[in-house]
Amino acid sequence: MKISVRDVGDAKVVELEGDVDLGTSPLLRRTLFETLPRAAKLALNLAAIRYIDSSGIATLIEVLQDSRRLNKEFVLFGLSPAVQEVFRLTHVIRIFRVFPTEQEALETA
Amino acid sequence: MGDTPRRLQMKFAMPSDPRYLPVVRGAIGPLAAAIGWEESECLAITLALDEALANVIRHAYHNRADGLIELECRESPDGLEISLLDNGDAPDRSKICAREIGCDQPGGLGTHIIKKVMDRVSYEVSAEGNRFVASKQMRKT
Repeated sequence: MKISVRDVGDAKVVELEGDVDLGTSPLLRRTLFETLPRAAKLALNLAAIRYIDSSGIATLIEVLQDSRRLNKEFVLFGLSPAVQEVFRLTHVIRIFRVFPTEQEALETA
Repeated sequence: MGDTPRRLQMKFAMPSDPRYLPVVRGAIGPLAAAIGWEESECLAITLALDEALANVIRHAYHNRADGLIELECRESPDGLEISLLDNGDAPDRSKICAREIGCDQPGGLGTHIIKKVMDRVSYEVSAEGNRFVASKQMRKT
């Protein structure tokens, strides 16, 4: 899994590529928890994710809970078909704010 | 040669190290496709097996990478059967629980996925070790 962070105004965009599983989700968790306090909004690009398991979904839920505690925004965009399928199976999509594109994810307050 | 058709049987002996999970994922998806499932079902089956392996790594071997997991995936007359055998700690049945649908808590997702994707799931502790067996039937349309 590759992970990178870039600044877009007050927001930070995290780019992910590859597989999120039991072996790689700790790096995702660490990166998101380190980045969240340093931006008004954290947007996660899931377009290049080929695979995500329950440890990856659990990480996103934990970050969402922390964003509420810190009064920050945590949004997802560009869900790949693989991610959509796992979200469908776990029924968690309704708890996240999900957008088709980065522009929409960053424009919405 | 008898009249019984030969069916695909795939066996792995893998260390309880998450580094090897992509190897298994790379094999089970094409196997499910060869049996006849469509792409979204192949992904779901892959995910269910991956979650079962992750459960063994986390709960039986407590994230130790030197345990042994014996995996067998077998094409059955009506679908697929998956069997995992490990020699780690036995599963605590009181803690094997799926999460509530749609709730915003991070725990129990893996078990929920396994139960949702597979038709039959069982856990058994014997002298051999801990055995997890799951099967899925091909539904003919």
